[in-house]
Amino acid sequence: MTEADRQLDELFERYRAACPEVEPSANFMPAIWSRIERRGSFPLVFERLTRIFVAGAAAACLLLTALTALPARRSAPAAVPATYADALYADSSAERTYYTEAVRSTDNLVPEDYRH
Amino acid sequence: MLVEPELIEKARKGDSGAFNGVVTAYRKRILGTISRLIGRPEDVEDVGQEVFVRLYYSLEQLRTPEVFEPWLYRLTVNACYDYLRRLKRRGESRMSDLSEQQVLMADSAAGSKRQDEESEKGRVREFVDALFQHVSEEDRLLLTLKEVEGLSLKELEQIYGVNENALKVRLFRARQRVLKAYNTASAEGKL
Repeated sequence: MTEADRQLDELFERYRAACPEVEPSANFMPAIWSRIERRGSFPLVFERLTRIFVAGAAAACLLLTALTALPARRSAPAAVPATYADALYADSSAERTYYTEAVRSTDNLVPEDYRH
Repeated sequence: MLVEPELIEKARKGDSGAFNGVVTAYRKRILGTISRLIGRPEDVEDVGQEVFVRLYYSLEQLRTPEVFEPWLYRLTVNACYDYLRRLKRRGESRMSDLSEQQVLMADSAAGSKRQDEESEKGRVREFVDALFQHVSEEDRLLLTLKEVEGLSLKELEQIYGVNENALKVRLFRARQRVLKAYNTASAEGKL
């Protein structure tokens, strides 16, 4: 260790003694607790807001589901078929009915020899 | 240790009375360290409160009461470092209010001898602070903890979580820079 090193160590010792001692004020402890409570209450507020948001989102979801289901139920008994396939099916079933009715109505015109 | 490990264990489990006991035992030492690390007496108590609030919220992560002191020092260094960073962002100087405080202390001193002592202390503080300006903020904190606070390398290793050899190298370089500034000041007759 050089002379300068020793002097520097001595200077650091004097520096430590020269730094003022800080006495905590009477409010030191209460201020710590109020900070702790303030910081602790923030997550609680956040949690409460999250719950409100989740409940609101669930209610909105249910409302939208109900709104989409209601028009579908109303349109079900309507006379107009919903799809092209339904229209085709309705059309062909009407034709079949006419055909059956025609067969029935002409049934007595067929000669007896040709009847089963 | 300034308190029994049982008290720390109780505080860790949420006993507020025990936590009060821990704060009461350590507050003066921690405030002293903060005072030397940040150099602004008017903000020491605020930073000290921040340290103990952080301690309250991190105490349950403490593995064993034996490592409590390095843990507390680590929180102290981090809080000081955060404070100094905020100060730097605001563009304020670390030593801005020191002279004002010195004047106040000098004014309040009763006798001329006390006044002389206070002005000598102020001179020493200003001189060492000027020397510390030759190293980075991180190195200044490290050097203060080692040379002024008197912490051992083993304690610093626990505080920083860095290998002892790496700390030795960093401390040696920082000290060399301060020593160089000291020698220059000596040669210029500023001592």
